[in-house]
Amino acid sequence: MAQSSSNGQDKSSNTYEALNKIGRGAYGTVYKARDKQTGQEVALKKVCIPLSEDGIPMNTLREIALLKQLNAYDHPNIVKLLDICHGQQIGKDLMMFLVFEHVEQDLAMYIEKHTKGFKTTEIRNLSKQIVHGVDFLHSNRIVHRDLKPQNLLVTSDGHIKLADFGLAKTYDFEMKLTSVVVTLWYRSPEILLGLPYSTAVDIWSIGCIIVELFTRKPLFCGKSENEQLNEILRVLGKPPKDEWPAKNAPIKWSSFDINEKVDIKSIAPSMCENVLSLVMNMLTFDPNKRITALEALNHEYFLEEPINT
Amino acid sequence: MPGWYFDKQELKHTPSGAAGLDYKTEMRYRKEGARFIIDTGMKMDLGYNTTATGVVYYHRFYMFHSFQQFPRFVTACCCLFLAGKVEETPKKCKDIIKIAKALLADNKFATFGSDPKEEVMTLERVLLQTIKFDLQVEHPYLYLLRYAKCLKGDKAKLQKMVQMAWTFVNDSLCTTLSLQWQPEIIAVALMYLAGKLSKFEVVDWVGRNPAHLRWWDMFVEDVTMDLLEDICHQVLDLYSQPEVKSSSESPPPGASRPAAASPSNQSTSRQSNGATTSTTASSASTASSTSEKTQISPETVPPPVNTRIPPPSDVPYPYQTFTHAPPPISYGTPVSFAPPVNTPPPLLGPSPIPSLLSAPPPNAFPPFVNQPPPFTPVVPPPNASFFGNGLPQGHTRHRPPFFPP
Ligand SMILES: Nc1ncnc2c1ncn2[C@@H]1O[C@H](COP(=O)(O)OP(=O)(O)OP(=O)(O)O)[C@@H](O)[C@H]1O
Ligand SMILES: [Mg+2]
Repeated sequence: MAQSSSNGQDKSSNTYEALNKIGRGAYGTVYKARDKQTGQEVALKKVCIPLSEDGIPMNTLREIALLKQLNAYDHPNIVKLLDICHGQQIGKDLMMFLVFEHVEQDLAMYIEKHTKGFKTTEIRNLSKQIVHGVDFLHSNRIVHRDLKPQNLLVTSDGHIKLADFGLAKTYDFEMKLTSVVVTLWYRSPEILLGLPYSTAVDIWSIGCIIVELFTRKPLFCGKSENEQLNEILRVLGKPPKDEWPAKNAPIKWSSFDINEKVDIKSIAPSMCENVLSLVMNMLTFDPNKRITALEALNHEYFLEEPINT
Repeated sequence: MPGWYFDKQELKHTPSGAAGLDYKTEMRYRKEGARFIIDTGMKMDLGYNTTATGVVYYHRFYMFHSFQQFPRFVTACCCLFLAGKVEETPKKCKDIIKIAKALLADNKFATFGSDPKEEVMTLERVLLQTIKFDLQVEHPYLYLLRYAKCLKGDKAKLQKMVQMAWTFVNDSLCTTLSLQWQPEIIAVALMYLAGKLSKFEVVDWVGRNPAHLRWWDMFVEDVTMDLLEDICHQVLDLYSQPEVKSSSESPPPGASRPAAASPSNQSTSRQSNGATTSTTASSASTASSTSEKTQISPETVPPPVNTRIPPPSDVPYPYQTFTHAPPPISYGTPVSFAPPVNTPPPLLGPSPIPSLLSAPPPNAFPPFVNQPPPFTPVVPPPNASFFGNGLPQGHTRHRPPFFPP
């Protein structure tokens, strides 16, 4: 069928003109590009879909369906998906392009730029938007799983847009581009321990990010799972023994030699009582005791008058 | 999903039309393709949701491509294949083709070329691109069941009405209604039709409010009687269309719809002089054709269709051939239904017209596809926490989904 190739393939290169590479993550490459017709700047995320004997795998289709459906809500804190198109097929892999609105920068760059730090009101504003976006994902039963400043985009007028959820995350292990190191810094204890996890992992990440907004430095910087856990426990202290998932955890509670904890307050002295309380509720060891996104939105910190911060 | 609704004018100016296919033939191709998807899906034990999703893809596809360019049964197979994956009821491409080969006449199967599987698989990408990856599709079934739960009245009659409406929803897939109106509206219209034909008048319902003139005012806004009648007639028209293949058979009695020209405005004026004429879908110019059509009344019973099987004598309507006892309807407050994809209610056992199933002639028009499921097994899926485990339920949560920052 000769027509099909002209209709179904390589719409991407006909429609978009790639400008430059703007990011390379563990699962794909992101280019800045321009829509040839409208001139609109977009972000093209190239992902590689391994084709099965029966075409595009069911999971990929389900995730795309979900991405599209979420997109229809037009949530202010979720990056807008403008288009999806196929690229070439290389062997058993199909290239696909997810076309997103192009956003000025990510939060990592934004933090870096603000060498003098943020105003407390801005931190609260950014934090609230992150929680809003995450609450939206969670209410749609999506766990982001990889929240970090690089995956939070910041528009030129200071709005947060969550990026990089959904697609390609199901291939986790096979699909990683091996040269890219995946950061562990925002990972929750249950992930580090290899335990089953849920929406609470995203809350943990937000806790880390909020502290980072105050200090402009990542809170816990481990180089391995073990080191990362150690970092966490060094700062927060060991949880009570009965909170340690004794049966399932591959690492013993007693293997951590930790006596006293460093206070978050001493790491980020400019944090007020309310934000400290929120962050501590987010950095709770037991995922079941961690605050939820919806609860967080109703936390004192987000309700207080702007003046008080 | 916005962008997938067309008005009647647009439906008459499709790529197939532009390439020289006349409108009647296009409608027949749509009907046959839909029918074929339904038959194939049924043979493969695919649920009504998967089947309906496949049919909607099919209709959408031919709003952007012509029947001349893309052979319709190949497209139909591809739509069912894709719908199977999206609805988590995957079927192997080669198995779908096997069924297609069994169902289709040789000359039609020839359009699949020398490598049918490759043909269908290649089309998958064209299809995805054409339907803009809008894979999640809602169908009237869900709403039909949801609305039925709210209606009060004689249980047996209600049940009969629901079953009939279910049948109409099945058959509506063979029309372009899914390209014109949201599933909510189609559900209301076909329940209205079934209510009329089964003489079940809804006088009370759960959650009734003085502002509501009709039960459906609870669920849909600004739906005029003209619109409802137009939708009903589009479905009823199916039953009066002569089947091309079976033209050698003698037409069933009363095969043409009564053409008495009593204007339909008595009931419509009551509604349409209300404040709003806008409707929630794009097409506002719907009722133009209804004026020359009869008022739907119990006498407007659709004629028996051209199935070769005479309907059992004990059923109240010639096209209704349920063999099982109707499922119980549980009353109570409206429940929020699970997304259809995850937990399609099980079908009620073997189909009552097995001989049609084993070899449905491509052009025959069996009166229904599936039976209405029992109401009870529709349960919300467990609170899945992993991405991909479930569907968004954003709007079922009772709070504003988000606030602008
Ligand atoms: N819409 C966008 N506009 C501007 N920049 C973007 C956009 N999307 C992504 N980027 C940039 O590209 C980087 C990588 O994008 P993204 O996180 O989506 O890809 P990834 O390969 O999945 O990365 P990860 O390693 O986090 O999985 C981001 O950190 C961000 O800097
Ligand atoms: Mg990323």
